[in-house]
This record gives sequence, structure tokens and C-alpha cells, in this order.
Amino acid sequence: MPNKRSLHIESSGQLCIYCGACVGICPLNCIYLDETRITFDERICTRCEVCVKACPVGAIEIG
Amino acid sequence: MVDDLRTDVLVIGAGPAGSMTAKWAAKHGAEVLLIEKRQEIGSPVRCGEGMSKDWFPEVGITPSPHWINVEVEGARIFSPSEKVFEINEKYAGNEVGFVVERDGFDKQLAIDAANAGAEVLLKTAALSVLKENGKVVGVKAKRFGEPFEIRAKVTIGADGFESQVGRWAGIPTNIAMRDMDTCLQYRMTRVDCDVRYCDFYLGKVAPGGYVWIFPKAEGIANVGIGVQLSKVKGMADPRTYLDAWIANHPGYAKGKKIDMVGGGVSISPPLKQTVGDGIMLVGDAARMIDPLTGGGIANGCIAGKICGEVAAKAAEQNDASKEVLMAYDKGWRARLEEKLYRNWLAKEKLCTLSDETFDKVIDALQGVKLEKLSVHNILRAVRDKYPEITKEFESFL
Repeated sequence: MPNKRSLHIESSGQLCIYCGACVGICPLNCIYLDETRITFDERICTRCEVCVKACPVGAIEIG
Repeated sequence: MVDDLRTDVLVIGAGPAGSMTAKWAAKHGAEVLLIEKRQEIGSPVRCGEGMSKDWFPEVGITPSPHWINVEVEGARIFSPSEKVFEINEKYAGNEVGFVVERDGFDKQLAIDAANAGAEVLLKTAALSVLKENGKVVGVKAKRFGEPFEIRAKVTIGADGFESQVGRWAGIPTNIAMRDMDTCLQYRMTRVDCDVRYCDFYLGKVAPGGYVWIFPKAEGIANVGIGVQLSKVKGMADPRTYLDAWIANHPGYAKGKKIDMVGGGVSISPPLKQTVGDGIMLVGDAARMIDPLTGGGIANGCIAGKICGEVAAKAAEQNDASKEVLMAYDKGWRARLEEKLYRNWLAKEKLCTLSDETFDKVIDALQGVKLEKLSVHNILRAVRDKYPEITKEFESFL
């Protein structure tokens, strides 16, 4: 069964403070911080939601 | 086009641990390249900015008014019902000392590294490690957006909590959810902070962590919180808890926020492995943060000095095999590991305490004069008044 829920990282700066908390905790190492941009690899991410909890400002959502 | 580079020692990340490593490697005669992905060392700050000071001579840091805001006399620990346990300077050398401007501090350490002979490259990010026959021989990097390679006899990952270098090199650095705090801090002005103390509030106000008040000047303080990730329930919990704490404390509720920082802090046991063929990890990247206090600068710098010395030696011998680099692993463990492990066990216990128990612990410490501040001494004091609490802690006594 493909997991249809999608991860959304708000990294335009409205919420994200580029602190790297999500990057450091991701158990699959699939979130990347590039100074002022956070990206993740859709193919690797399992929607485990650890990053959602780790984000201190609530910039990551899974819908 | 950016030219490929070659060096003895490559340090990735110019935070305190990286700069300290670069400085000591250069002092021992190695050719050192220190790369930093940001354009400005130390900025933006991601730190509570409180640090102890008794370790400065060991690593060769000279305190400077350029980056010291306040020299505190002690720390105050507040229980959930806000009973206070005061630790004064004499006993708290490891826990309190200065409140600093972290960007100024980081810049000072980078200056020290550069003055010792290290080259510093800004806007230079590592993208992956180069491996030959299973041995790390440098990194692919990009500088001002241009890709290039840096070849090094020894590569050192000092790339912080979000470290990638260790993972690329095949050194496991993953941490469990109970071994991470997610943190948020405001710089606030017009607050009733006491510049003589760093304050810590324990209990449900910050599950698995604490609220801290580190004074920057009269009326100005860093007001922050760490919450254990395994106790986080919703989105943005640190902000929710911190805002609630501030709202419940009139001396802070009247203040104004002028800055906000956040980040992850590891509160894990020490890594089992910090070296591989051609590679070493240091500082937050090696999970060297004290799991009880959340402080990482002292440990990062102390390990950085050892790392730099071993790196220089390996480069000189032209042998950066894991066996040779193990001198660093053994060296930092001899200096730091016992305390890290003990404090991790203490953290694991503290995270299970109820507010009622926290109150009793702080109550038991009222009027107690501890000769030396340690988990052991605190537990002995608590045992005298509430023996039932310390039953679970027998292993520490």
C-alpha cells in the first residue's frame, strides 16, 4: 500500500527558522538543510512524523 | 571554476569544536583547512549562551569583554512549586560561569585557529565524503555554488547537531527520541531577571527538560526551553510550553521579545564510535553534549583540542588509519566519558520524576551546604530527609 499522506515542510521562512532539528533527528537521513532551504527526499521518507514533533516552531505538517 | 584543494587536515564546520580542532592541529604543525557553509561564523546564533569557565585554560581560551555579557555568581534551580536551590559559584564551576555573545565567542575561536595557521573558507559546504578503498580521503564540496573537491589526509566532521559527515562516512550517529530535546528561546527585554544568576525551572513546565533564564544585562535575558522529544505531543510544543511559562510569570509576561532561536540538542549517551579510517567526529556531531545540562561548548572544545593534536600527528606520520585515530577516541573518553555516561543515567531518572518528587528533592536541599556539586552529593543530601525518594537511585549512591 503506498502511503498517500504527504509531508509538508514550510521552509520559506514564515515558520521555519532553519535550526536543523528535523535534519538531525530524521532516522532515515532524508531531510537536508541548505542554509535557507530545507528539502526532503520523498522516496525515502516514511512519514514517521519524528520531524513533525522535533520542529520547535511547528513548521512541518503531515496531511 | 573553483580549483580542487589538498591539505593535511580538513575540518568541516567552524563552531567551537571545529575551530578548536583546527587551532590545535595547526599549532602542531599540520596544514589545516577549516570550512564553514555560512557566510558569517557564529551567526545566526543557536544557543542559550550560558557556559562554564573553569575549562578555558585547558584549551587556551582567553576570556574577553568582547563576548562576555555577564559573569554570574551562581545558578538557581526552581522546583515546580518554585522552591529554590541556589548553587553558588564555588560549587558550580561546571554548570555556570559566563553568559556570552555566542557569535562573538565563535568568531574569537575562529580567529585563534586562523592565527595558529589554519586557512578558513567561508560559504563552503561539504556535499559528500570522498572514499578510496573504504577510507575517507576528503569531501566533495561547493563554494559560492561551485562544486570542487578537497583532498585531506584526515577529515573531521564538526558539523553540529544536524551532522551529515558522520552518516556519510558510515559512523552511526542516530539518536533515540528520548535522547533529544527540542528547544526554543526568546531574547526578551524589560524582564525582571537577576544578573547574578542563571535560573533553571524543572518539572511539568518543560517535560524532560527545563526552562532557562540566562541574563544578558539588567532587564535583558535569554528565556528558553528544552522539551524531551519523546514527551512532545503536538506541533510546536516548545513554543506552547514556553509561552505558557512566560504567561504565568509576571516578571517575564511584561517583557518584549526581540529575538527567537531554536534547535535540537542531543541528550544521549556517548557515541560508541567517533573515528573511522581517515575520519573523526567532534562536538555536537559526536553527541558530546552533557545530557543533564544540555551544555556542549566545553566538551566540544576539550575534545577538539585532543582531536586536533591527533590529526596533526596522523598527518605527520602519513597514516590516518582508524587504529592511529583511535588515540583521539581514547583521549576524549578518558577525559569526558565517565561524566557523560553518569549524567545520561541521571537524566534518564530525572525524566521520570513527578512534580511532587522534584519539590521534595529541592526541599531536601534547603540550607544544605554541598562541598562539591555532584549528582552523588545531591542524592546523599536528599536521602537524609526523604529516604524513600532515593531508593530508586541506589545505583548512584
